[in-house]
Amino acid sequence: MRQLAWVMVLLVTPAWAAEEEMVAVDEENAPNGYTPSEASLNEVLRFTGYLDVGFAKAFGNGSSFAANDTRVPADYGSDAFAPAVNSRGEVASTDSGGRFTNGFLPRSVGIGNRPSFLLNTASVDVRFTPKQVPLFVFVRAQAMPRFSPTGDATRFDLQQAFGKLTPFSAHEFALSLGKFDSVFGIEYLENEANLRTNITPSLIARYTTGHSLGLKVFYRFQLPALWSAVSFNLAGTNSGTRIEALVPASASLVGVPVGSGRIGYELNLKSVQVKLGVSGLYGARNDQTDPGALQQALAGDLRVQAFGFSLAGEVLRLNDARGPNGVKRTGAEGPSEIPSGFNVLGGWGRLAYTLPLTNEWLSGLTFYGRYDRRHGWFEGFTTLVTDRITAGFRLDLFEMLAIKAEYLFNREISGAPRVDNDVVTGSVVLTW
Amino acid sequence: MVRPMRRLCAVILAAASSLTLAASPKQVKEPEWLGEQMPLPLAVKTPEDLAFKASAERQYLIFNLLAGGKVAWDRGDYPLAVTRWEALLRLPNVPAELELQVRPLAKAAREQAPMSMPMALPAAPEGPTAATAVVSVPEVDASKQLVTVNGSVAGGGNNGPGGAVVILRRAEGTTPKPRPMRIRAVIQKDKRFIPHVLAVPLGATVEFRNDDEIFHNVFSLTPQNDFDLGLYKNGVSKEQTFLSPGPVHLLCNIHSSMSGYVFVSDSPWFTQADATGRFSLKGVPPGNYVAEVWHEWAAKSVKKTVRVIAGMEELQVSVDGDRRAPAFVPDKSGKPRQPQLGY
Repeated sequence: MRQLAWVMVLLVTPAWAAEEEMVAVDEENAPNGYTPSEASLNEVLRFTGYLDVGFAKAFGNGSSFAANDTRVPADYGSDAFAPAVNSRGEVASTDSGGRFTNGFLPRSVGIGNRPSFLLNTASVDVRFTPKQVPLFVFVRAQAMPRFSPTGDATRFDLQQAFGKLTPFSAHEFALSLGKFDSVFGIEYLENEANLRTNITPSLIARYTTGHSLGLKVFYRFQLPALWSAVSFNLAGTNSGTRIEALVPASASLVGVPVGSGRIGYELNLKSVQVKLGVSGLYGARNDQTDPGALQQALAGDLRVQAFGFSLAGEVLRLNDARGPNGVKRTGAEGPSEIPSGFNVLGGWGRLAYTLPLTNEWLSGLTFYGRYDRRHGWFEGFTTLVTDRITAGFRLDLFEMLAIKAEYLFNREISGAPRVDNDVVTGSVVLTW
Repeated sequence: MVRPMRRLCAVILAAASSLTLAASPKQVKEPEWLGEQMPLPLAVKTPEDLAFKASAERQYLIFNLLAGGKVAWDRGDYPLAVTRWEALLRLPNVPAELELQVRPLAKAAREQAPMSMPMALPAAPEGPTAATAVVSVPEVDASKQLVTVNGSVAGGGNNGPGGAVVILRRAEGTTPKPRPMRIRAVIQKDKRFIPHVLAVPLGATVEFRNDDEIFHNVFSLTPQNDFDLGLYKNGVSKEQTFLSPGPVHLLCNIHSSMSGYVFVSDSPWFTQADATGRFSLKGVPPGNYVAEVWHEWAAKSVKKTVRVIAGMEELQVSVDGDRRAPAFVPDKSGKPRQPQLGY
C-alpha cells in the first residue's frame, strides 16, 4: 500500500508542477501599449442602419373601434393607437367603419386581423466626423414599404439631419442645429426598433417622440462628491414633440417656436445606476392658426439599472388649449373640423431582466413586462381611460441581430366599450 | 525526544532572530540606487508623452545598468556587476561604441565572479556594428539559447497594423503561465484611453487613472473579464486585475465615444506591434510555437506555426481589417447608446 501511495504521489507531482509552471514576462517585452493619433480613431464617414422585419396578428378587427359604438368623432371615443403592431406604433387597422374621425389617428399597416409579415422599417444612418473639427453631422433616413391597400402608403422619411458642435473638450457641451430627436422624456432614447428593449412604443409615445427642426443645447456637469451628474437638454423647435402621424408637416402653423427641455440627474454607483428627469414643453399649438392656443406638457421619468434588472418609467401631463373656431391641422388626413381642447394624463413602467448569459454568439436574453395607462379627454367629449399590459422577450445574437416577441393586452377601462384589440407581434431586427 | 525538541527550539530561535534583524532599522543606510525607481514618474498625457517616456526610460535603463555595474565592480560585488553589464549587452540596439567598452568589462567581471554564475556573456555580434546586427538578425542568448523573434504585422485595414498583439504558445506541451505583474497606468485623457490598446500578462493588475478634469468610469462587458471601476475624478487611480485571457473592451459609462482594449495574454511570450507593424519578442526558448496575432480591427485573430531557432527569418503575419465597430456602444448595463446623442 505504501508503495502504491508513493507511485500515486510521483504520478501526481509532475502534473501539478506542470500546471504551476510560470515564466516571468521579460520587462522588455511588456509593451507600453499603442495609441493611434486622435484623428485616425474615428471614421470620417460611416454608414450604419437596420432592417426591421415583423410578424403580427391583431385580434378583433385590428382596430380599437367598437362596431356598436356610434359616437363621433370615432377617434375621440376610443384609443386608436392601442393595437400597435411594430416599433413605429403603427396599428393593424384604423378602419372606423365609416364613422367620422377628426385626425387623431396613428399610421396603419392595414392588416386588420390577418396574421401578416411586415417590412416595418429600413433605416440608414450617416455619420460624418470631420478630422480636426469638433463637429459631428448625422442623418437618418428611413423607408417604410407598405403593401396593404387598406393601410398607409409606402413612405420615405428624413427623420433626422443635424450638425452637432462640441467646442470644449473638457466640458460636456453640445450645440445641435437641424432636425433632431425630441429632448422630452426618455422614450426617444430607444425609439428605433434595434434600440428599444421591447417592440411597441408606449401609449404616450405619440406625444413625446416626434422630430422637429430647430436648435438644441446639451450640457452636463459632474457632482464629484455625489458620484452624480446633472444634465440640461433644451430645444427650441418649429413644432412640438408629437409624432409625425399627428403633426405631419413638422411645422407650426403660427410660426412661433416651441420650447422643450429636460433636466436630468444621474447617480452612477458601481452596481446601480439611477437616472431621474423632469421634462417640460411650452409653445403654441402646431395645428392651430392662433398663437394663443397653447400646448403645454410636463413629465417625470425614472430609470434604475442594477444586477441585470432594468426599471424604466415615465409619467406625462399634457394640455392643449382650445383653438378658435375653424379648422385645425391635426393628423395625416388633412384639415380637421373640431379644434377642441385636449388633456392627457398617462404613463408607463417597464421592468426587464437580462439573464447573465453571454458568449460569442449570445449577446443577451431579456424578459420584460410593461404597464401603460392613458387617461385622455377631448374637452366636450367623453373621458377615456385605457391601459395595456405587455409581456415579451428579446434575444440578442452576434451583436447585430435582435429577435423579439410580445403580447399586448389592451383594455378599455372607462369611457369606451370593451374591444377585442389585443395584439401578438414579433420582430427580427438586423443592425449593420 | 530531547534532541529533536532542542533542534526545533534552535530553529525557532534562529528564525526569530533573523526576523528581528530584518525588522530592525539598518545602522548604516546605503544610498538608494536611483535606477531602482523604474518606471520613471513622468506624466503621460498624450501618445507623444508615451513615446517620450519610453525613450527616456530606455536611456535611464542604459545608464542604470552601465553605472550600476561599475559601482558593483568598485565594491567587489562581481556577480552584480556581471548581471548589470550583461543585461546591458542584451538590450536591443545598444550603441556599438558602448558595447565595445562594456563587453571586456563584463568578461572581466565574470572571471572574478564565482563559477556558479548562471548567465554567460552574450555572444559578440559579427559584422561592422552591433546595432546593424540586432536590427536585421534575430538575437541569440548563447547561455540560455533564448531567441529574439523579430517580425512585422501587415494589414489591419484603414487603421493599419499598429497595436497588433503577437503571442507565442508552445505547439507541443503546455505553455507556461506568465508571472502576474503590475502594469503602468492606462490613463483617461481628453475622453480617450491612452494607450488605446495594451497587452498585459494573465493575472496582471492594471492601473486606470483619470487625467481629465471631468469624471470618468471604466467598465467592460467582455465575458469572463467584465468589471466596473465606478465613477472617479481627476487624479484618482483605480486598479483591475485581469484573470481571463483574451481581448477586453474598455468603455466609459459617462462618455460613449471612449473605447480601448486590454489584451490579456496567457503566454509569457507576447508583445505589440508599433505603428508600422514592427515587433520584437525577446527571450523566447527555441522550439515550435503557434503564433497568434490579434488586432482590434480584425474579426478573427491569425494563427501561424513558427519554428523558433537561432537565425530564424523574420515572422511575417497579415491580419484583416474586416471588423466594424458596433453601431451602438453599450452602457454598463448593456443598453445601447446612440452616438449622435453623445450621452
